[in-house]
Amino acid sequence: MIDFSRVQKELQDCDKDKDASGIRVCPKSDSLTRLTGTIPGPIGTPYEGGTFQIDITIPDGYPFEPPKMQFSTKVWHPNISSQSGAICLDVLKDQWSPALTLKTALVSIQALLSAPEPKDPQDAVVAEQYMKNYQVFVSTARYWTETFAKNSSLDEKVKRLVEMGFGDAQVRTALESSGGDENVALEKLCSG
Amino acid sequence: MSDRILCKFFVHGSCLKGENCEYSHDCKDPANNVCTFYQKGICLYGSRCRYEHSRTSLPQSLSPSNVPLPSDSQPQSLSAAYNSLLTPSLNHLQQKGDDNNDGEKYYIDPRDYPICSFAAAGDCPRGSQCPHMHGDVCSTCGKKCLHPFRPEEREEHTKECEKKQKQMEALKKSQEIECSVCLDRVLSKATPGERKFGLLTECDHPFCIQCIRNWRSSAPVSGMDVNSTLRACPICRKLSYFVVPSVVWYSTPEDKKEIIDVYKAKLRSIDCKHFNFGNGNCPFGGSCFYKHAYSDGHLEEVVLRHLGSQGETLIADTLRLSEFLGGLQM
Repeated sequence: MIDFSRVQKELQDCDKDKDASGIRVCPKSDSLTRLTGTIPGPIGTPYEGGTFQIDITIPDGYPFEPPKMQFSTKVWHPNISSQSGAICLDVLKDQWSPALTLKTALVSIQALLSAPEPKDPQDAVVAEQYMKNYQVFVSTARYWTETFAKNSSLDEKVKRLVEMGFGDAQVRTALESSGGDENVALEKLCSG
Repeated sequence: MSDRILCKFFVHGSCLKGENCEYSHDCKDPANNVCTFYQKGICLYGSRCRYEHSRTSLPQSLSPSNVPLPSDSQPQSLSAAYNSLLTPSLNHLQQKGDDNNDGEKYYIDPRDYPICSFAAAGDCPRGSQCPHMHGDVCSTCGKKCLHPFRPEEREEHTKECEKKQKQMEALKKSQEIECSVCLDRVLSKATPGERKFGLLTECDHPFCIQCIRNWRSSAPVSGMDVNSTLRACPICRKLSYFVVPSVVWYSTPEDKKEIIDVYKAKLRSIDCKHFNFGNGNCPFGGSCFYKHAYSDGHLEEVVLRHLGSQGETLIADTLRLSEFLGGLQM
């Protein structure tokens, strides 16, 4: 049994200081079992300026079992699979505690971005590059951030969609409901 | 007929003696409302008794018209007022006694005189017109329930009242406390069984009993160390070996110790189901919280631990005499 009232409380709590922390959690559908978390890349790292999306699945045993989290944005990081987005982080596995929340777990992931652990890697290729050729690692990570984690600003997306012949207000609501994803918004606009 | 006393069974419509009853079956006759236990001097209800505490068969209480009343607003002058109250009432009682051909002389000890039970319960509707003596005001509960002439009763009430007050305050504070797992207020949970705290012995983080027990009993994920995660506090990760249920949250370490001691004492009075009066085998041995008593009542003697040759503690295996004898070659 999932404690939905707790998930709901966590969402409200996260919503309160989303501007200060930059961390957001929104449900993907009405069921509250699948959520999307968003964290900003930490300043002073190759991930600075990027916005990273994390798929969250709430297991049946939550909060006594850790939530399942993986990156849906591609990231170049020793502890995150460059293929699947799987995260190697102890608090999401054996160090989970029911006093932790989705938000604190996302904060931990954010901390992982600024402090990689190449000795306990998830992605061996990235970890090897990190240890042997740090400069190349930094530039690759920065390139991935630029390519995958930097959405063009909202106004640019609106401008592009408006050019396709949709109304400004219509485009904005579509973008909002699709979480800023240009392609999903376009599909929505086309389907009516 | 008219000097007979009303049958109390007849009043309820259940007198089996009918016309042969020695008591009156006429509702106009007065009912006997005198406490018979008080006559023997052993009424356990004291001032709370609903029957009259007077030494004779008094049909009516003292009438307000001929008795000067103690003032409510001056409890300190009560004893003086009481003396003036006593004199006319004594005459009054004596007259009544003569009427009933009961010439017995008696003396009322001021300690025997009951206080007004309405005032003691909080509010007397008759106020200053009340024929009964009003007790002194208890500073804790604010009720006029302290008998001016019974010091032991006063002391007992004051103690009891302060204890209750303390409990109420603790309960009030506990209302606000949230469980860090379900993020609900523990005492506002849906069912009464859930409205309990689970105290950890080694730290002071609050959880509801259900949440902390769920966490401690959840299946460990691979690679998870039971002692460092499941048995640890979810917040500070301090290891606690057991959880104590409590309906209130404590504010001082002494309160916490008291809650734990009371809980342990309660468990010690319950027979251990594993030990089963000596027929079973308790895996917790001497550190079991439950009672290990044989069916004849004597307690198990625990000498399971002793020091080994290197000074380390050895825990002896449970030896059975049958095994020992079976191993002997005879």
